[in-house]
Amino acid sequence: MQGPLIDTLARQGITRRTFLKYCTTLASMMALPPAAGLAMAEAMAAARRPSVIWLPFQECTGCTESITRSHSPTLEGMIFDMISLDYQETLMAAAGHQAEEALQAAMKENAGKYLLIVDGSIPLDMDGAYSCIGGRSNVEILKEAAAGAAAIVAMGSCAAFGGIPKANPNPTGAVSVSDIIKDKPIVNIPGCPPIPVVMTGVLAHYLTFGSLPELDDKGRPKAFFGETIHDRCYRRPFYDQGKFAKTFDDEGARMGWCLFELGCKGPVTYNACATVKWNGGTSWPVESGHGCLGCSEPDFWDAGGFYKALSVPADPLEFGAAAAVVGAGAGVAVSFANRAKKRAAKAAHQTTTLADLEK
Amino acid sequence: MSASLEKGINALKQVIDAPIASYFNSCVHCGLCADACLFYTETGDPKYTPIHKLEPLRRVYEQEYTLLGRLKKVVGLSKPVTDDELDQWQSLVYDSCTMCGRCSMVCPVGNDIVYMVRKFREGMAASGHVPDGIKGATQRTVEIGGPMGLKWPAVANVIRKAEEATGLAIPVDKEGADYLVLLSSMEIVNFPEYLEALAKIFSKAGISFTLASDAFEATNAGIQIGNSDIAKVIVSRIVDAAEKLKVKNVLSPECGHAYMAIRWEGPNLIGRPFTFNVVHVLELLDELRLKGVLKMKSTFKEPLILHDPCQIVRRGGVLQAAEPLIQQVADNYIPIVDKQKWNWCCGGGGGASAIHTDEAEALRAKVFQVKKRQIEEAGVSTMVTFCANCRIVMEEGVDHYEMDTKLLGLTELLAEHLED
Repeated sequence: MQGPLIDTLARQGITRRTFLKYCTTLASMMALPPAAGLAMAEAMAAARRPSVIWLPFQECTGCTESITRSHSPTLEGMIFDMISLDYQETLMAAAGHQAEEALQAAMKENAGKYLLIVDGSIPLDMDGAYSCIGGRSNVEILKEAAAGAAAIVAMGSCAAFGGIPKANPNPTGAVSVSDIIKDKPIVNIPGCPPIPVVMTGVLAHYLTFGSLPELDDKGRPKAFFGETIHDRCYRRPFYDQGKFAKTFDDEGARMGWCLFELGCKGPVTYNACATVKWNGGTSWPVESGHGCLGCSEPDFWDAGGFYKALSVPADPLEFGAAAAVVGAGAGVAVSFANRAKKRAAKAAHQTTTLADLEK
Repeated sequence: MSASLEKGINALKQVIDAPIASYFNSCVHCGLCADACLFYTETGDPKYTPIHKLEPLRRVYEQEYTLLGRLKKVVGLSKPVTDDELDQWQSLVYDSCTMCGRCSMVCPVGNDIVYMVRKFREGMAASGHVPDGIKGATQRTVEIGGPMGLKWPAVANVIRKAEEATGLAIPVDKEGADYLVLLSSMEIVNFPEYLEALAKIFSKAGISFTLASDAFEATNAGIQIGNSDIAKVIVSRIVDAAEKLKVKNVLSPECGHAYMAIRWEGPNLIGRPFTFNVVHVLELLDELRLKGVLKMKSTFKEPLILHDPCQIVRRGGVLQAAEPLIQQVADNYIPIVDKQKWNWCCGGGGGASAIHTDEAEALRAKVFQVKKRQIEEAGVSTMVTFCANCRIVMEEGVDHYEMDTKLLGLTELLAEHLED
């Protein structure tokens, strides 16, 4: 698979028109101006394959699965194929010394230019001995690979925020990529697993503009992580109307009402699931009847239980009624006192004459 | 000789009403009123923030009428208002507030700040913290008849001269006239042309009018000083005269706060509706213009701008009359940016022009810079207004800065160019 991307796509039966449409969609998803779609298409079509090194650390391979196997075959998958993936343990044919040599060769050949993708957290306890590849600790490999990278993409919640390995009591001393690497641009694409289109979106942006997309304060691309699940949830109208499912098999659940009381973390989770959906746009957690776990937020595993509601109101009616009675009583009392005072002031008024202007 | 702190506080307790309670509770301390006040914009001193000028009133409200305030007073967190404090506030509430009402216009929560200043002055007057200048004006109005100490013979003299100049009869104490014409002392002394202009216009329009020998003065120093009892005495003279002469309308002169005193405060002061209408001279002129009575024989050629007096336009509600009138008589009228209800005050309204201490006069000259800028930005050497007090204050400002600006009264300007 050599040559420009568009040729490869054409060989696989993707027309230029389909590709353009895809790029325009991608651009609009990333909240870029419409013209950016065309620019993106041109840049990506002509792009030579950028070298990508993918380092898997303390992880479950779910992120890789998400991108390579979640749905077949899509443009995301193909663009993913189009990059020169020079090292990816799970996918590469090579093994053992050959694999390590490939990594060294790729780092040397493309020094300063390759994109480094990391999935999985990095254990620091016991000198990093909890996770080693080819006899070297993850932290050592990461530092070496990061040194020559143009930018780093932290794929998945583990690489971005430490994820499940970091969950209390964090036996391996797991940390995120940004805890270790401070001198390279890092894009966090959290999610357990992350959404494939976010990955291709960041890649497309990088290829088109030669820079990383705009990031939020947690290092996530704003285009995809700018709004909460709750803000874009199709069940939001039920929340606004106060219609909640109380259990997973009650009338409310069957009517598709809001899952807030069943512990949905949508209101505090920034991700694009509600708009992009999963499995080629088939569905997403809330649509399938389960609340959001908040998997793209830091420390989601320790956020107090997946089925515990974010907040529980005090009995508002009872409390409100009592407050109203007390408030009304106090109001009436103050009003009577104030009226009496004002009446007294009026009674005490002596008509002012000129002489009264002097002290 | 009986003004005291106790009386002042009692007056404040008396004037605090539901609007004031809601205003103090609604204030979000945004400070927008500061930028609406010329005393702040021209000095940059935050003590001139309009709502701050009401601090003693706010404390009395809080301490007397709120639960929390009472508690704070008991435990000593909120200090009672003292005589010294009111003395300090005197310059804030008289020298540096012209009651122009621009602050009330900008308040985002709708607080009528100038309404509160008017009420606060009741307490200041009752506690004896009133500038001598306004006190003197009030004394002269009550004892002699007008703030400048004018008596009827002086007015009779002006009437005779106007009759000679115009060749028209100017009736006095004529029963059943359409209009009872009021004057302000400022017009009698400084701008006697006003009466001549009116006589010409009335004769042209065929409207009957009269002056009243026992109520010629329209201004009301009681309003400026902030004492309703005295203001009532002064306004009653006009009401009594108008009702005795059975006139249909009372014509308020150009003077700004005179109109405010008769038209808006008057019925509240005497506690009943009037049996006559109060009309501002510009309202009448605009009506005559629409009827086609005001025909011009010539026009004023030089470029000019208009100064809208606060009490007539922003606070009085005579918003639209002046512009078409000036366009009728001037070829080259230049509308300024802050006009009509947004116009900047002359700096001497609300009694401020009667205060002649060095500090007050220096401050007045300083804040005149806002008008100076307006004149300079428009690049004109003529400014027309329709309030005798604005005119005299601005003439002082023009002299102070040695500008070559000429000030004209609108009614006069119209009369000068009126078809014979």
